[in-house]
Amino acid sequence: MSRILSKSTGRRALKKETTRSRIVAAALALFQVKGFEATTTKAIARKARVAEGTVFNYFPTKEDIALHFLEQEVEHAMAKVRANPRLRKAPIEEKLFALVQTQLEFLAPHERFIGAAFVQALKPGSKLGIFSPSAQELQYRYLAFVQELIDDAVRCGELTAAGWWTPHVFWVYYLGLLLYWLHDASPGKQQTLAFLDRSLKIGVAVLRQK
Amino acid sequence: MPAKTKTTGSGVRPLAPAAAGLAGQAVGSMLQRLFPTTSATGRALRLAGLTAGVTGSYVGYMAQRLFLGEEGRDRKRRATHAKAGRQIRDELQLLRGPVMKFGQTLSLHTDIVPEEVLAELTKLQMEAPGMHPSLAVAQFKASLGRSPDDVFKSFDPEPFAAASLGQVHCAVMHDGTRVAVKIQYPGIRAAIENDFRWIRNMSLPAQASGHLSKAMLDEMESQILAETDYVREADHIEFFRAGLKPLEFVVVPEVCRDYSTDRILTMSVVPGQHLDAFLAKRPSQRLRDLVGSRLLELFHFQMLSLETLHADPHWGNYLFDDDGTIGLIDFGCVKRFGLDFVRSLCKGFLYPGRFDSPEFKGIVQGQFRGPGGTLPAGAWRVITDFAERFYRKVYPPDPKDAARPFDFSDAGFLRDYLRAAGNLTRAKASTPQYIFHSRAEVGLYTTLHRLKARVHTSAIVRRLMAAA
Repeated sequence: MSRILSKSTGRRALKKETTRSRIVAAALALFQVKGFEATTTKAIARKARVAEGTVFNYFPTKEDIALHFLEQEVEHAMAKVRANPRLRKAPIEEKLFALVQTQLEFLAPHERFIGAAFVQALKPGSKLGIFSPSAQELQYRYLAFVQELIDDAVRCGELTAAGWWTPHVFWVYYLGLLLYWLHDASPGKQQTLAFLDRSLKIGVAVLRQK
Repeated sequence: MPAKTKTTGSGVRPLAPAAAGLAGQAVGSMLQRLFPTTSATGRALRLAGLTAGVTGSYVGYMAQRLFLGEEGRDRKRRATHAKAGRQIRDELQLLRGPVMKFGQTLSLHTDIVPEEVLAELTKLQMEAPGMHPSLAVAQFKASLGRSPDDVFKSFDPEPFAAASLGQVHCAVMHDGTRVAVKIQYPGIRAAIENDFRWIRNMSLPAQASGHLSKAMLDEMESQILAETDYVREADHIEFFRAGLKPLEFVVVPEVCRDYSTDRILTMSVVPGQHLDAFLAKRPSQRLRDLVGSRLLELFHFQMLSLETLHADPHWGNYLFDDDGTIGLIDFGCVKRFGLDFVRSLCKGFLYPGRFDSPEFKGIVQGQFRGPGGTLPAGAWRVITDFAERFYRKVYPPDPKDAARPFDFSDAGFLRDYLRAAGNLTRAKASTPQYIFHSRAEVGLYTTLHRLKARVHTSAIVRRLMAAA
């Protein structure tokens, strides 16, 4: 009996997850083409082939969809860095490079939407803004991972001048880099790659000094 | 009797000069620490920092030498040169790209650069710091749209060779073929324009004095810029692969166009080892003579039959196999000379007559100034001296001397060449075409000297001239 119950719960959870993914995919496609502001929940529901009420059941606002996507992005990047055995022995600048680069690759197909989300985050009361509890929770998770990488580097004697503030500085750097990436018109975002590589090297060199 | 020395006493250093030097170095170090290597301003300020640091060292030396004896002065001069060399090399390595390429070019001009600085600059040829694997893979993906793991059966993320504008990785194709994948450092093209803007500004005095012409800088910039286009390099490889077919001892890689872009170059692996590894195996004199003769033949064949030179002459671009095969592996810097230049070169080569004859004067005129141009009197003397001291010795024109090989193990010939080439620059007789020809010649003769090869120079040139 319990096996039948858990089987049906599992199926329900899977169905829910599929619907959630469908809504997110539909929303992202529309954000990219129409823009964040111009996309309506009605259009998202139509594209995802669900009722408009279903969209609200999963995501009360469009910002919740955006937040969910950003959460996926951060989780994906952290998992990728963790899963790469070669990176375990790599210098800290390469680990941080791999983390940011994986994030950028994830964001690349949705560039237009990221630009809009950036602007949206600056609006007072926005769920994407730095003072919103949900965005802060995501930010802390990300910073905890960065701190983890930095702690490893400190333990190995790679960094000597890092402190509690280092992940926060990295966060500000990341936001700046994201802006740079959004405005980079070079083929294959060459300038961003070069900037990311060189600026991380310089940053780490500063943190190496006693 | 030893020269009388002027000294301030052991270990006493005059304060003011030391302070001047230290101030320059402090400014340099501060600028270099503060500014990143990415933006135009950042790069310019770092280079300004480098200039200040190096100038600081020299100011310190120049002031201190007034108080030093001859021996101390010489020691101090060498130490200053060596320190400046290290500073320049470290900074150029960090900045990479065109400025480093410029440093590599400078390292071939032994006439301009002091020996101690040269020793450090030469290290740039082989010691370019690489991209870490994550950056190399990201750059591959950004250029080809697919990751190396999707394209190849296996891909080594660690590079096996460095290049000033990129690095080379080993990979295996799905059909089992081993290939070399050259990946360009990102953003290098934008850096070139920034660097040349700086080089042009910094070299204004040399341009005003006529020692460095705008045409030479333009030529250098366009060549270095061209080296960033790997599609063009792939074209060069195919040109040389077809053109060098008559020379069976030369191996030129095959380009894999499907996996190449303007920033990625995938090609077959060329067998052989670099000169150092080849020499470490203590090859026999016979093998060294064979390789030396082939290198010389390869050089003159390119000039006479293809009118084009694989003009990046440092030995990192050649691979030597135990059977005497020579592999060519870098085609970024290729110079097409054209028939006129080659014709005038042919006329001057193995010239049997007197160098002060009107006929020879006409040949030289054509080679260095073109029809109608006139050479300064000083330049004329320098060129005849060059022909007499170097070319006549290394390439004896008399067929009776053909049986006697020229022994490149003697460093004297190389010194003669470098001194004469330096005099030519100072006499303002250099032309952009000549610079590249000379650059490739320096590479050739340096390699022949390291091989300690004995080569029938004139016989080879005579045979090739007849065939051409």
